[in-house]
Amino acid sequence: MPHRHGQGHRMGSKYPPSMRGCLPLWILMLQVALIVIFFFFTSFDTSSQDPKKLMGNFRVLQDVTIMAALGFGFLNSSLRRYGWSSVAFNLFLLALGVQWAVLMDGFLEWSFRKKVVIKLSSIKLATMSAMSVLISAGAVLGKANLLQLTAMALVEVTVFVTMRMIDRQYLSMDNHVSMMHIHVFATYFGLMVAWFLSRSLNERVTEEKNQTTKSSSLFTMLGTLFLWIFWPSFNSALLDIPRERRNAVFNTYYAVASSAVTAISMSALARPQGKINMTHIHNAVLAGGVAVGPSCHLITSPWLAMLLGFMAGLISIGGALCLPEYFNRVLGIHDTCGMHYSFGLPGLLGGIAYILLIIYEVTWTKQSMISYQLFTGTGTLSLAVASGLIAGVLTGLVLNLTICKGPHAAKYFDDQAFWEFPHLAIGF
Amino acid sequence: MKLLFPLMAIVLEAFMIVLFGYFVKYETEQNTIQQLNSTNTTKVDRSLELYPLFQDVHVMIFVGFGFLMTFLKKYGFSSVGINLLIAALGLQWGTFIQGIIHHHGQTIYIGIKNMINADFSTATVLISFGAVLGKISPAQMLIMTIIEITVFAGNEYVVGEVFKASDIGASMTIHAFGAYFGLAVAGVLYRPGLRWGHEKEESVYHSDLFAMIGTLFLWMFWPSFNSAIAETTEQQYTAIVNTYFSLAACVLTAYAFSSFVGKRGKLDMVHIQNATLAGGVAVGTCADMEIQPYGAMIIGGIAGIVSVLGFKFLTPCLTEKLRIHDTCGVHNLHGLPGVIGGLASIVAIALGASKGSSMVMQAAALGSSIGTAIVGGLITGLILRFIVRVQPTTEFFFDDSVYWEVPMGKEVDDE
Repeated sequence: MPHRHGQGHRMGSKYPPSMRGCLPLWILMLQVALIVIFFFFTSFDTSSQDPKKLMGNFRVLQDVTIMAALGFGFLNSSLRRYGWSSVAFNLFLLALGVQWAVLMDGFLEWSFRKKVVIKLSSIKLATMSAMSVLISAGAVLGKANLLQLTAMALVEVTVFVTMRMIDRQYLSMDNHVSMMHIHVFATYFGLMVAWFLSRSLNERVTEEKNQTTKSSSLFTMLGTLFLWIFWPSFNSALLDIPRERRNAVFNTYYAVASSAVTAISMSALARPQGKINMTHIHNAVLAGGVAVGPSCHLITSPWLAMLLGFMAGLISIGGALCLPEYFNRVLGIHDTCGMHYSFGLPGLLGGIAYILLIIYEVTWTKQSMISYQLFTGTGTLSLAVASGLIAGVLTGLVLNLTICKGPHAAKYFDDQAFWEFPHLAIGF
Repeated sequence: MKLLFPLMAIVLEAFMIVLFGYFVKYETEQNTIQQLNSTNTTKVDRSLELYPLFQDVHVMIFVGFGFLMTFLKKYGFSSVGINLLIAALGLQWGTFIQGIIHHHGQTIYIGIKNMINADFSTATVLISFGAVLGKISPAQMLIMTIIEITVFAGNEYVVGEVFKASDIGASMTIHAFGAYFGLAVAGVLYRPGLRWGHEKEESVYHSDLFAMIGTLFLWMFWPSFNSAIAETTEQQYTAIVNTYFSLAACVLTAYAFSSFVGKRGKLDMVHIQNATLAGGVAVGTCADMEIQPYGAMIIGGIAGIVSVLGFKFLTPCLTEKLRIHDTCGVHNLHGLPGVIGGLASIVAIALGASKGSSMVMQAAALGSSIGTAIVGGLITGLILRFIVRVQPTTEFFFDDSVYWEVPMGKEVDDE
C-alpha cells in the first residue's frame, strides 16, 4: 500500500498513556489465556482418516482462509488513510476469531463434558464463523481501536456460535443453512455497533478522510475478486453429499457471474453520464453469491440461480444508491464499507428465497410438513436478524464504556493513530 | 448513448437467463433418473476432483488477467472492472455456445469440466481485450465478447473434432487465436493519434507493481491451466511437470534478454510482467507429450527470448508500419509463443513424442486457428467501427474517467 508519508513522523501516536500500556497487556493476557484453555481442554484428532477426504477438507479450508485473509482484508482497504489498519486488523481479528470459535464450537457441541477434539473440519467451521467478525468489522472499521475490535470479536463469535447451536438443536436446521445466515447476522450486528460508534462523527472528518483513491480502489478490487472467485467453495464448504456440493458450486458460479454483469450495468445506468461507480462494483458483484447461499444446494437448474443473482445485483445497487444517505442522515449509522447492501440485503433476499423454495418443494411433493418447514425457515432467518440486532446493541453499549474508549472522532479513519509510518524519501 | 451500455448488458443478461432456462441443466438430474445407485455418487465424486483445478483457472482469469492489464496509469479501473464484466458474461455465453456445438442443439448437461471450458473461452476474449485495451468502450466489448466466443467455439470444434489435433494447453486455440483476433480488431480500430505514442499510455511506479500481482498469479497457476482438461491422470501429471519447468526456464531467459537489450543493462518491467509467462503459453500444445523436462525447458527458453525481442523490436514496428496498435503487447505474450507452441508440437510429433495426432493435423490446427482469428477479428472490427460506433475519441483513450467515477481523493503519497 503506498501509504508512505513524505514528512515521516509528523504526528506521533496520540493514545492516552494508559491505553498504550493496556492495549498490548490485554491482548497478551487474552492470548495466554487461550493457550492455557487449549492446553487443558483440547486435543488433536488422532483417529486415522481417509487421506483423500483429508486433502479434500484441507483444500476447502485453504479456500476459506484465502477468502477471509486476502478477500476480506483487501475488500475493506478502500479508505485512503486506512489501508494498513484494514488489512492488518482483519488478520488480527481472523486469528483471534478462529481460536475462540474452535473453542466455542467444541464446548457447545460436547456441552463441556469432555475434551474438545480438533479436526480439520472444525478449523474450517471456525474460520467460517470468524468471518462474521470480518463482515461486521467492515461496518465499524475506522471508528474503533484494536481493543474495541477485540471485544467485539469475542462477543460476536460467541453469539454466532450459540445462534447456530440453537438453529441446530431447536429448529433442526442443517449446518449449511444456519451458516449461510452469517451474512444477515454479521451485517446487522456490525451496523448496530457502528451506530454507537458513529455518534460523534462529524461531517468534516468523514469528508476529508472517508475517501478512496485510485490505488486503494484497485486494492479493494483485489479483495473483491478473491471473494468472488472462491465464493463457490464457501457456499459448498459445509455440504457433505457430493450431489448437493456440486449443485452448490454450479449455482454459485452462475449466480455470481450474473450478479457481476447486472451490478456493473446497473451502476452505469443509475449514475449521471452513465459512469460506473467503483465502490458499487466492489460490493454488488458479490451479492449473487450471498443471495444464493442458503438455497444453493436445493436449486436444480442454473437459470434459477442466475435469476437470484440478477435480483441480488439489482437490490444491492439499489441499496447502494438510496440507503447510505438515509442511514447517515436520519439514523446516524455510518457503514464504512457498505456492508449493509453487499451482505445484508442480499442475505435477506437469500433467506426469503430459501423459504419460498422449501415451500414450493414441499407443496410439490405433497408432504404435510408445510407449516413446520415454514416455521423453521422463518425462525432461523428472524433469529439471525434478531440476535444480530440485539447482540450488536449490547456490544455497542459496552464499547462506549470508558474502559475501552475509542479514538477521538478526529482520529477516525486514520492509520496514523495506530502505525509508525516509514521514513521514505520521495523519488527514487 | 448513455443508456446504450447498461441496457445492452441487462438485455444480454436476461437473454442468458432465458437461454439457460431452456437449454442448460445440471448433470445430476440425468444421472439420478438413469441410475439410482452407488455409481452415481462415484461419478459425482470424480467430477468434484476437478474443482481445485477449476479454481486455479478461475484465479488466473479474474485476478491474473485482470491485474496484468492494470499497468496503465489512468486505466486501472477499466482493466480490472471490464475484465470482470466480460469474463462474467463470457463464461455464461461460453457454457451455452460450447454446449450447443458439442451436443448438436440438445439440452446441455453441465459439469465442472464445462465450467473450466467456459472459463477457457473467456480467456480468448481477455487476451484480445489486451490488444484493444484503452481504445474501446464497454458496449463494444460486450459485442466483441459474444462474437469472439462464438468464433472461438467454432474453431475449437474444428480443431478438436474434425482435425483431431492435440492442443491440451490451448496454445493455438486460445492464445494464438485470441492474440490474432485482438490484433485484427485493433488494426481496424486504429487511429492516427496512436502512431507516435499517446500521452496517457504510460505506467507509473505503483501501476507497474499492480500489474506484477497479475503476473505472479498467472505464473503460479499456469501448470493448472495447461493440465486442466487432460483426459487421464498421466497426461495431467506430464502437463504439470512440463509447464512447471518451461516457465522456470522462460523466466531466466526473459530476464537475461531484457537486461541484454535494455539501456545500460537495466531490466524493463514490461518484459518481466509479460515475457516471463511466454513459456507457459509456448509449452501448452505439447504439454502432455513425452517431451521430457529438458524439451520443455528448451521451448520455454526460446519463448522467453522471442517474447522479449518481440516487445523490443516487433511491437514498435507493428504500430508504425502496419498501423496495428497493441496496448498490452499480446502479440508477444500470446501470439508468437502460441505459434511457437504449434510449431513445437509438430517437431515433437516428428521426433516421436506423441502418437495422439499427426504433423499435418497439427499444422492444419495452427493454420485454422490463426486464419479464423484474423477473419473473425476483421469482421468484428468492421462491425465495431461502422455499426456499433461508440468508440471514444482519441483524446479519451486510456482514460478511466470516461466510464468510471474516479475517486477524487489524493494519494497520501502526493501530499
